[in-house]
Formats: sequence, structure tokens, C-alpha cells
Amino acid sequence: MERIAMTAAIATLVAGAVLGYLGQRSRMCFVGGIRDYMLVRDRYLLRGLLAFGITAWLAFPLVTAVGGAGVGPFGAPDLLTIVLTALGGFGVGYVSTLANGCPFRQHVLAAQGALSSMTYLAGFFAGAVWFHAWVAPMLLRVLP
Amino acid sequence: MATVIKSTTPAHVNRRRVRVTATSTGIVGALLAVIAGSLFDVRPPEAYGICMACHARDLVDWVLNAAAGTHLTVAAASLVYPVLTPIGVLIGALIGAHGNGEFRFQRPDNSIKTFLYGVLVMNCALVAGGCSIRLLLRAAAAEPAGLIGFGALAAGVIAATRWLQWSASQ
Repeated sequence: MERIAMTAAIATLVAGAVLGYLGQRSRMCFVGGIRDYMLVRDRYLLRGLLAFGITAWLAFPLVTAVGGAGVGPFGAPDLLTIVLTALGGFGVGYVSTLANGCPFRQHVLAAQGALSSMTYLAGFFAGAVWFHAWVAPMLLRVLP
Repeated sequence: MATVIKSTTPAHVNRRRVRVTATSTGIVGALLAVIAGSLFDVRPPEAYGICMACHARDLVDWVLNAAAGTHLTVAAASLVYPVLTPIGVLIGALIGAHGNGEFRFQRPDNSIKTFLYGVLVMNCALVAGGCSIRLLLRAAAAEPAGLIGFGALAAGVIAATRWLQWSASQ
């Protein structure tokens, strides 16, 4: 278990570094594609979004086929999960567009020296602690 | 008099290195996400290979738990050691920016607003169970809630872009 956890930590570090490098070179953003297409009919980032989705969709069953851990199976979500996922997803899309980039793009811009993205990341990390210290306990009390 | 057409392109531009496109980033990123996710000791696997929000939460909470003895939530994949995706992305992007002379400090325009955007996106992402990357990954895994989440994300982007267009036209 310890060794698998170590492998996972290193794998995410390496995967993150490769993705961070490619993301810096390509200006990839996971909300920018839809925004750019709507504003100026630019398909550059949208193609990246589609490429990610289609590749992952093909790769999951492929990993399962070679005996690895692909994904799932998933049960049907209950109504509360559906509502929370929809509200949260809408919020991520809306606020990320106002903030001028998805969380991934903000990490890349921060590493390029953009102080506004560093400020965003400070809020991002503080928000995680705030969520689990205050928001989640409150939601658990309020929600059925 | 004969006109001499001089090339205005400097020589070094022609020897440009290989351009990385968004499409190739998407393909490689998806492969890395699926492979990294298959290495987690979590059954059934839950499309957790790359997520900028959940992994950042795992890392911050894990470090706080270890350093301050708190009991903040981390995902099953990060119980023993935390996932290090955010650090990896920062390192990779720093290498990319530095190696191509694109690193420069840029002043923020509105710090408080930007800070709040970060807080809001993280909270929405943790409610939804994924940032934009992981919602797409979950949708690609054909998880019903993931498809709903990615649909809602796209709706959010469309609504915000419409709002920006509208407020610019006023």
C-alpha cells in the first residue's frame, strides 16, 4: 500500500510536469475553448478540449483491456449529487470565465510570473481549507 | 528602377522549434490522466488521474494535517502520500516559460477580486467533484454525474461569455 501510494505521488508529479510544460507552450485552457469560439469563432483551444475528451474516452477501455485499472463501474447518482454537481459545474465554468482561465491555466500563468494568477492560486488553496473547515460541515447540516 | 523586395522575417524565426498545439496537449494530457489514474490504489477507479482542484485540495489538506494535526478531508488516493499534480504543473510550466524567455512578472489588476475568484472556483469545484479537467475526464469515463457536471460547466462558460459580451456592449 505504501509503495503504491509512493508510485501514485511520483506519477502525478511527472504527469503534472509534462502537462504543465505542454500547457505553457500551447496556452491550453479548458474553459477558453468554448469562450474563444463564441467570441471570435476561434477553434484552436476548442480542438484541445475535444482532443482531451475523445482520447480519454478511448483510453479508459483500452487500459481495462490490457488488464489495468480503467474506470468505474459507476452507480446511478442520487438527486442531491445531480443537483450539487450541476450547480458546482456551472459555478466553475462561470467564475473561471470571469477569472480569464481555468484552474490549470491559472497554474501555468502563475509559473510564468503573472502575479494576478498567483493571487488567484492563493485564494484557490485557501478556498480548499475553507471549504472543508466551514462550507462542507455547513452543507452537511443544511442538506438532507 | 528595380524594386528590391527584402525579407522582413528575421532568420531565427524560420528556425523555430516544434510548436506544441492545444490538440497535442489535449491528447497527451488525457493519456497521462488515464495512466496516472490507473496507478491509484482505489477500487473502483474513479477517474481521478488529473484534477487541478481536488489534487490541490489533497495536497494542501494533507500538508496541514501532517503539520498541524488537523483532520481535513483528503481523497482516498491521497491518504498515505498526497498527489503532487499542482507542484508538477508549476514546475513544468516554469521550465517551459524559462526555456523560451517567457517568464516575466506581471502586476495584478485587482487582487481582491482575483483572490475571491480563486476561492469561488475551488469551492464550486469541490461541490461538483472536479475542476474543468476532471469534469471532462469524468464525462469521458461515461460517469452519469460527470456528464451532468461537464454539461453544466459548458453552460456556465456560455452564460459568462454572454454576460461579458453584454456588459461590453453597454
